[in-house]
Amino acid sequence: MIATRSVSGSSQSPRSPSSQPYLSVSVTDPVKLGNGVQAYISYRVITKTNLPEYQGPEKIVIRRYSDFVWLHDRLFEKYKGIFIPPLPEKSAVEKFRFSAEFIEMRRQALDIFVNRIALHHELQQSEDLRTFLQADEETMERLRSQETGIFKKKPTDFMQIFKDVQSKVSDVVLGKEKPVEESNPEYEKLKHYIFELENHLAEAQKHAYRLVKRHRELGQSLSDFGKAVKLLGACEGNSLGKAFSELGTKSETLSVKLQKEAHQLLMNFEEPLKDYVRAVQSIKATIAERANAFRRQCELAETTKLKEINLNKLTLMRSDKVGEAEIEYQELKVESEEATRMFEMIVRLMNEEIVRFQEQKTLDMGIAFHEFAKGQARLANGIANAWRSLIPKLEACSSS
Amino acid sequence: MITTQRSISGSSQSPRSPSSQPYLSVSVTDPVKLGNGVQAYISYRVITKTNLPEYQGPEKIVIRRYSDFVWLHDHLFEKYKGIFIPPLPEKSAVEKFRFSSEFIEMRCQALDTFVNRIASHHELQQSEDLRTFLQADEETMERLMSQETGIFKRKPADLMQIFKDVQSRVSDVVLGKEKPVEESNPEYEKLKHYIFELENHLAEAQKHAYRLVKRHRELGQSLSDFGKAVKLLGACEGNSLGKVFSDLGTKSETLSDKLQKEAHQLLMNFEEPLKDYVRSVQSIKATIAERANAFRRQCELAETIKLKEINLNRLILIRSDKVGEAEFEYNQLKAESEEATRMFEKIMRLMNEEIVRFQEQKTLDMGIAFHEFAKGQARLANGIATAWRSLLPKLEACSSS
Repeated sequence: MIATRSVSGSSQSPRSPSSQPYLSVSVTDPVKLGNGVQAYISYRVITKTNLPEYQGPEKIVIRRYSDFVWLHDRLFEKYKGIFIPPLPEKSAVEKFRFSAEFIEMRRQALDIFVNRIALHHELQQSEDLRTFLQADEETMERLRSQETGIFKKKPTDFMQIFKDVQSKVSDVVLGKEKPVEESNPEYEKLKHYIFELENHLAEAQKHAYRLVKRHRELGQSLSDFGKAVKLLGACEGNSLGKAFSELGTKSETLSVKLQKEAHQLLMNFEEPLKDYVRAVQSIKATIAERANAFRRQCELAETTKLKEINLNKLTLMRSDKVGEAEIEYQELKVESEEATRMFEMIVRLMNEEIVRFQEQKTLDMGIAFHEFAKGQARLANGIANAWRSLIPKLEACSSS
Repeated sequence: MITTQRSISGSSQSPRSPSSQPYLSVSVTDPVKLGNGVQAYISYRVITKTNLPEYQGPEKIVIRRYSDFVWLHDHLFEKYKGIFIPPLPEKSAVEKFRFSSEFIEMRCQALDTFVNRIASHHELQQSEDLRTFLQADEETMERLMSQETGIFKRKPADLMQIFKDVQSRVSDVVLGKEKPVEESNPEYEKLKHYIFELENHLAEAQKHAYRLVKRHRELGQSLSDFGKAVKLLGACEGNSLGKVFSDLGTKSETLSDKLQKEAHQLLMNFEEPLKDYVRSVQSIKATIAERANAFRRQCELAETIKLKEINLNRLILIRSDKVGEAEFEYNQLKAESEEATRMFEKIMRLMNEEIVRFQEQKTLDMGIAFHEFAKGQARLANGIATAWRSLLPKLEACSSS
């Protein structure tokens, strides 16, 4: 990653020479606080750094999910063009909200979230990040409740923006030209790819989750079967009974293996897939922001042109409104130039981000699918060995 | 197997044995759906190959349906008390499965096993009803079926009542509540207790074996859906990562097939034998009920005879003119009583032989079934492990590039 200051993320040992700047964050120790409907989970956020902007080598703060949302929303507003790392989903079905598995998956996702920000050469310099990592809990609570309307973008707004972008993409694809849309074939291709990717990813993730569920169900079935066969063996009592008992015990052992592998599948494969889906949705949000910026640039350019025409008209007529019109025109011109700069910055940043995204994704997905195949092979191997070890004893039974 | 004089081999014997060696070989094949709508049914081809003189020639093919097998079973059950009659597959299935190819295959296999067990049993193989079943033309068979008297049309409810009676008597004895009309034979009590416990545990094991089959199928389906989704993802990506996705997706679909095949094997070679074992144990319970009936009858007749004897002696003392009549009744009852005792003792003797035969056969059958189970599971797991391992080098290349 090319950056002004290259700051390493959490993988760096804190004992690097002090000349090498580092920023290392970890999200740990989920603890349930509060009671009843107001109960929530708090996390420990530990920051280790030697950067001068931070208050010392180590800082520990307590944060909850909505604090992470605050950080995400502020970064999204301030760093348009950059793919903001995604957050895990807001709420789960009530009864799972405090299950150990859900909490573990959320904690892992939040840890990844903060670390991606800390590793990003632009985002790591954000003041909001510093606030998030260091402010005491009262300050954080005050900031959270001060959220203005801009930041409280409702999910439906996003949906509407997405729908607009989606319909505009299809309009362009169908050849229905609309004036306030970039005509950039490369960019169209990218948008099309992102939308298609999201669909296929969501499908793959859904079926990956079902796979996890089926592993669990097979494991449960094998366990029930093992118990039943053991009872059968106790009833028989002779050498056949012994063989039954061993088969039953083996089934129970394999059931445990299956449950463990199901958990591994969930954490090391299904979750990365889900994370990938969220990352793509984050890109769609940036696409929407770019569309907004483009529209704004175009609108201001239009308005400025009209103002210029009007100004020239008033100048020719030597009207006494010329002064006023000239001020308005100048103001608009500044806004228009600002809008153009903003749009061009977003375009530039997005180009860098796409490259970064593709590289990271190829790596992450390669690892995830590698873990998947390894886990499946390991599980199958263990199962094959377990059954093979029983076969000699069963052969003795069937031939006696 | 110990037999009387003629030892007849079952269907595993080649029909080309020297003609001096008696053989009786039967197979039930070719299920065909006949009839329409609610009257539709499955007919089976029953092929008999034999050199026994009682049979009409070396080979005979007849068409039979499920109710014909039931006829044979019920007749054998009535005539050969004391012998564990081989069990039939269950009467009806949920309507929509009644003609599924899997159900038909399982039923055909079970019917084939049923007839062959009869043909291999040294007593049952000599039954005239068996010969009728294997040789009579279809019209004769139909006529016999419609002639069924009440004795043979034993309703399931009756059998259930008999079982319940036996069960309650077992627990009465176990609880120490002595009832006079019950054998006090500790060995036999142990056997009954074992049979009842065995049935419970077997039914449990069979239920979970069936669920295992289902879970294999569901995992296979899941893997297939997953494979398709990953292939679409791969097509969307288009680069080397995309190729890896496609390979993984294809591999998933292949493994899904393996899982479905193994699920079918599990069903036919493991779950069905377990279910067959459950039915066999239920057949033993029916014989236990028959033995209880015979014992009760013997006791009742012995009681009645004692009373009749007392009455007869009294009539003789008072020189009544009813002595002749009473003596006649007394002798009749005595003959019945002796017959009942003979019947009961025969059932006891046969059951003892049958128990030995059952234990041996069961140990063999169960050993084979569980052996098949473990082999099938190992084979499946091996195939899965090999498939995923073959993908690892390509995936490693992706994650490090």
